Amino acid sequence: MIKRAELLSPAVNRFGPLAALVLALLVPFMANLYWLDVAIGILTFGMLGLGLNLVVGYAGLLDLGYAAFYAIGAYTTAILTTLGHLSFWETLPFAIAFSALAGVIIGYPTLRLRSDYLAIVTLGFGEIVRITATNLNITGGPNGIYGIPAPSIFGYHLFSDMSQYYLALVFLLAILFFTHHLAHSRMGRAWLSLREDESASEAVGVPSVRVKLWAYVFGAIFGGLAGAFFAARLTAISPDSFTYTQSVNILIVVVLGGMASFPGVLLGAAVVVGLPELLRFMSLWRLFVFSIGLIALMLLRPQGLWPAAARTREPFRALGPPGDDEAPKISRASGAVAGEPALLVEGLRRRFGGVVAVDDVSFRVERGQVVSIIGPNGAGKTTVFNCITGVTKPDAGSVALGGRPLRGMPPHDVVATGLARTFQGIRLFKGMPVYENVLVGMYPRQRATILGSLLHTRGQREEERESLRRTRSWLRFVGLEGVAGVKASELAYGDQRRLEIARALAAEPDVLLLDEPAAGMNPSEKRDLMGLVRRIQGLGVTVVLIDHDMSLVMGVSDRVVVIDRGRKIAEGAPQEIQRNQHVIDAYLGSEEGAEDDEAVNRWPS
Amino acid sequence: MIYGIIRLINFAHGDLFMVGAFIGWTVLGALAGMHAPVALVLIVALVLAMAAVGLLAVGIDRVAYQPLLRASRLSILITALGVSLALENGAMIIFGAGFDTYPTNLLPTASFLLGGATVTWIQVGMFALSLLLMAGLYAFVQFTPVGTAMRALSFDQDAARLMGVNVEGVIMITFLLGGGLAAASGVMMGLYYTQINFLMGFLMGLRAFTAAVLGGIGNIPGAMVGGLLIGVLQAFAAGYISSQWQDVIVFAVLILVLVFKPTGIFGERVVERM
Repeated sequence: MIKRAELLSPAVNRFGPLAALVLALLVPFMANLYWLDVAIGILTFGMLGLGLNLVVGYAGLLDLGYAAFYAIGAYTTAILTTLGHLSFWETLPFAIAFSALAGVIIGYPTLRLRSDYLAIVTLGFGEIVRITATNLNITGGPNGIYGIPAPSIFGYHLFSDMSQYYLALVFLLAILFFTHHLAHSRMGRAWLSLREDESASEAVGVPSVRVKLWAYVFGAIFGGLAGAFFAARLTAISPDSFTYTQSVNILIVVVLGGMASFPGVLLGAAVVVGLPELLRFMSLWRLFVFSIGLIALMLLRPQGLWPAAARTREPFRALGPPGDDEAPKISRASGAVAGEPALLVEGLRRRFGGVVAVDDVSFRVERGQVVSIIGPNGAGKTTVFNCITGVTKPDAGSVALGGRPLRGMPPHDVVATGLARTFQGIRLFKGMPVYENVLVGMYPRQRATILGSLLHTRGQREEERESLRRTRSWLRFVGLEGVAGVKASELAYGDQRRLEIARALAAEPDVLLLDEPAAGMNPSEKRDLMGLVRRIQGLGVTVVLIDHDMSLVMGVSDRVVVIDRGRKIAEGAPQEIQRNQHVIDAYLGSEEGAEDDEAVNRWPS
Repeated sequence: MIYGIIRLINFAHGDLFMVGAFIGWTVLGALAGMHAPVALVLIVALVLAMAAVGLLAVGIDRVAYQPLLRASRLSILITALGVSLALENGAMIIFGAGFDTYPTNLLPTASFLLGGATVTWIQVGMFALSLLLMAGLYAFVQFTPVGTAMRALSFDQDAARLMGVNVEGVIMITFLLGGGLAAASGVMMGLYYTQINFLMGFLMGLRAFTAAVLGGIGNIPGAMVGGLLIGVLQAFAAGYISSQWQDVIVFAVLILVLVFKPTGIFGERVVERM
């Protein structure tokens, strides 16, 4: 069933923004002074909402103290114009610098915190800034600062409401321009992936701490810019403008409008500022009715008034038909030492409390091979993978990828070095379209800088185009090209597994780790998977896979490593393993006399 | 407590506290002319306020939170903020925007000296009642079947449901208790500080949440220690530095604690399975 919104979307996409802009330009000619003032308020909240949207809507970091950055921008401009006698425009770089610095100061130590703790810390930070402003002399104490000069352009002072309205519009459009660019770059996709699943994002190569810090810094910068405008417009500021309630109002703008949705945020700003004004005739009842309205809107539209689109129509349309050169290929990362095995694991050991999950496991994987790790449930196979990929810190032992030591590296560096993985329980970025899942996988291979993402420079645009082209080739490689624009959570189970493989391949790894790729697949899907593993091998990628399914393991593996209770009990070619008495004992459990019917049934007779 | 079980920062909690204080005030005012024994009047006011606010909390949960349990957590957060705003403005419409004063002649003003500090019997009584309520809550959560179900819910709602726990029912009881406790502290605060106002809940809610986070979320002894710590910290900051900076110091300590111990003082590490 096609929803109405989807039918509307092409027309809305093309003419909507233009119509909105024309309407915004005409506002001063239609509104009286009172409503013009309200409109300026809406634009200011639009700026704040767009900035916070990067933090909350994209990166998924709950910030209850966003007004702090607004305050820092406003006070910077106020102090520098009144005491420093700079012009409004000259204060802007300082407002940007100080709010960015504040973003780093609050962001850096708190980024490890889980979202709820983050909420209270940001709230505390917001209060600290406000109380500090209330108690310092330079900020004018509780009375604030007044006599801030209005900005001027070419000697013309922007005193009138109409000129201030247009100044606000220019600020809003500039912030819209930059936030929109950021959102549609590798940075924006990395933010979204963090919101969806932080561990998975780190495991496909996104350096989560750095990327989150950028979200904070940009949120802070745009909040600071809005503050600078606010100070110049009102010519007087006081701490009362930067309360916790204000932070909450900005958050309401984002969530009510629709997280990560640009039109949504602007609509949210209009509702949050405009609705209480419309209700002014109710006097005492005004805020009560507003709050009831807010609850009702959230109950009716939990996703927001104008949610971000989850589907993308024809994501590859801009590329034109695929060329012949569009076969998937792996360009080798430099740095692998010639003659070293693709993956060398030595003496790996990991204890959880009293249980030794991995006990002195060593094995080597030669280049271009497919090696399987098998063993009963709970034998420690996934822990081996987690130790190799940096998710779990091993207590002892070493891991080397083509001669380069990996131990101690965070997961995203492991991916950048050339080792990608999939998960036992599928961990896709479920709310993102299929093709963007693959694009996130390319993060460690992309080179666009922050400035490039902010400005969409020529180099950045070329890289995006090339990435999109590669995405198409990887999706074709796993047979998902036809569903590229669909939300990942809408895929069938087997397709989700294949998408995870495509996402891992997009990092162009030397070695690919597959954790139970056949789990939950039917026999024909398993056959397809075996073909896929061989084709991956054909690209020159070394594959290490964990699975229970013996037909798969014996069918594709060059070598098999058997683990039981954390120890390696056998290693060799598939035929040797099938005859190995230790392995048969482990699977049949004859030592203990215990029975593992599942394992027996899976053993090919 | 509500937070620990349904993972919701209940922004309206402080406002429930405020509503409790106002209901207690109303009941006391109505009973003032009846020459009933003081103890009886106080108990009636306390019980009525607890019952009324408990039911109010359940109602709020039903209307504003339950329908969104499956939606994004942020949308519940916004409805919680909406509820908070509605309660504040509702109270303002009913009780006015100014301060209302609790009767001051109800409580004995006698005091005694303890190690050089003057301690009034009111303080002793309030301290005892708080301890009693906290101990009762702890016992309820630890030792009754419903309490066990609550703790199960806090780990995994779906698993608890599959085990036959009446999830909605348990959440309802949680809100009933949480609201009742908020009301009890509201009445006590009203009796002690005598001045109440429709905005008083906001700051208390903030402090309660800070206490819960400092102690470690979803951990009742942790919340108690966190609450004590914040109280002491505020008193020292106000006494030795300046009362203007007391909140700055509380928040700064909170941030420092969380930076070094990201899950609060008593919080356990949450291990995530890959």
